[in-house]
Amino acid sequence: MFRSIWFDREPASVWPRFNLPSIGERLGRLRAGTAIKRAPHDEAVRRREGFLSAIQRVSGSGGFSWQVATDRMIVSEEFYRIFEFDPAAPVTLERIGARVHREDISLFHESIGRARRADGDFEQDFRLQMFDGSVKYVHVAARATADCEGAWEYVGAIQDVTQRRLLEDALSKTRAELIHVARVTTLGTLTASITHEVTQPIAGIITNASTCLLMLAADPPDLEGARDTARRTIRDGHRASEVITRLRALFSKDSVATESLDLNETAREALTLSSSELQRRRAVVRTEWADHLPPIQGDRVQLQQVILNLLLNAAEAMHGVDDRPRQLVLKTALDEDHRACLSVQDAGMGFCHEAVERIFEPFYTTKRGGMGIGLSVSRSIIERHRGRLWARPNDGAGATLGFSIPAEPAGTSGTSGGL
Amino acid sequence: MTQGSLISVVDDDESVRESLPALLSQFGYRVRAFSTAEAFLESDCVSETACLLLDVAMPGMSGLELQRALTRRQQAIPIIFITACPDDSLRALVLSEGAVDSLVKPFSDTVLLESIKAAIRGPA
Repeated sequence: MFRSIWFDREPASVWPRFNLPSIGERLGRLRAGTAIKRAPHDEAVRRREGFLSAIQRVSGSGGFSWQVATDRMIVSEEFYRIFEFDPAAPVTLERIGARVHREDISLFHESIGRARRADGDFEQDFRLQMFDGSVKYVHVAARATADCEGAWEYVGAIQDVTQRRLLEDALSKTRAELIHVARVTTLGTLTASITHEVTQPIAGIITNASTCLLMLAADPPDLEGARDTARRTIRDGHRASEVITRLRALFSKDSVATESLDLNETAREALTLSSSELQRRRAVVRTEWADHLPPIQGDRVQLQQVILNLLLNAAEAMHGVDDRPRQLVLKTALDEDHRACLSVQDAGMGFCHEAVERIFEPFYTTKRGGMGIGLSVSRSIIERHRGRLWARPNDGAGATLGFSIPAEPAGTSGTSGGL
Repeated sequence: MTQGSLISVVDDDESVRESLPALLSQFGYRVRAFSTAEAFLESDCVSETACLLLDVAMPGMSGLELQRALTRRQQAIPIIFITACPDDSLRALVLSEGAVDSLVKPFSDTVLLESIKAAIRGPA
């Protein structure tokens, strides 16, 4: 959740030695607002410091310096404001620590520990919790420097990034909702498939159990036969349970779970799930699986969502086609740029070149009763896998849609592709 | 006399191909199971089959296509469709093309037996 960035730098080499009071002391002047002596050049200094203060205010960032050996801290006005500290009291690490959110305390102490051990410049995100319970997200960036006496200190800024974080979280949540809606829409379309997948083993269970009773009621009872039927019943029960588990995973709202995937295997599962729906639409499916496809990093559930989307779109595109076979070709391949590709080719109505980008618009649809969310969400899923989703009309009838995702470099372990 | 009659089961689902023969042999029927319509057509069971239990959705030739193929060959085998997906229009269609019945999975053994008896008995 939080980034920690450490830069390897020697403190002494970073900052040239200025014949000036340390930065800490200059910040101290910003806070205290007291000039040491009123001399003519102090006017320029005061103007400059007023400017610096305004910058800090506007950017929501507070400056600080921390002398590591003595733990002396000098901070700016904005720093006080961010932490909602009493401006009269000096700032210490203890007081700062008291403001850090409960869940981020260990992170905070770890950062301080590393800073003390002279690890160099750093950046850190963490949360603060104010008196009234409200939470602030802050980002700290500090640079290791040496002051004019050679004492080593960190100088940096802490920025209140609460607004930005809340917006990012809201965006992320909306994106997840959208993907969920797309899944549920597909769920409606897949009802036939789901019914089919679960009904088969259930029918098997009922038949086998009936047979078992008959065998036990025979004269003499057929015990071996009864045992067989019981075993088959259990096997069918497991089969039904596996289908439910797979479907539950497909339609849950969980966030991205990345793993090493075999695209062929992932696509095969998606094909199984949609097979009865494709059959219902009389699509004739042909597959061309690539041999030795290297694994890809991705979220299996989300990628299957995309593949399902492409398959169902292809079948839908062939609605009403009666003068030629409703052929659907599912193909995987590895391209020259070491990207794993999957394409779905249909023999449907197709679309003209001008329409290519339109079909990715969020609510574009030619489907009867369709919601048209699928392709736009699918594209965003693929893009988050650092891939590309594309569409093009065929030379003959219909269109081909597909995506490519960078494959793991050669030599990484993973399940091998191919049949 | 239904005892010993041959029932052919055509279904791509393995559970069905195992469970139905076990059940029906308890009632004295002989049963053969096929995973595809093509395999059934190529077998030597076609003319001997007293009743055909036929799945609808299968890879390759569908149940409906097999029904039509048998009609074209003038093989008047009584057909009972068994399907996982209830679909009224499909039921109406297969009945209109001569099927004896169309059952939705899961069905009880009693319902299946009654249907088979009626199929073998033939139209009154």
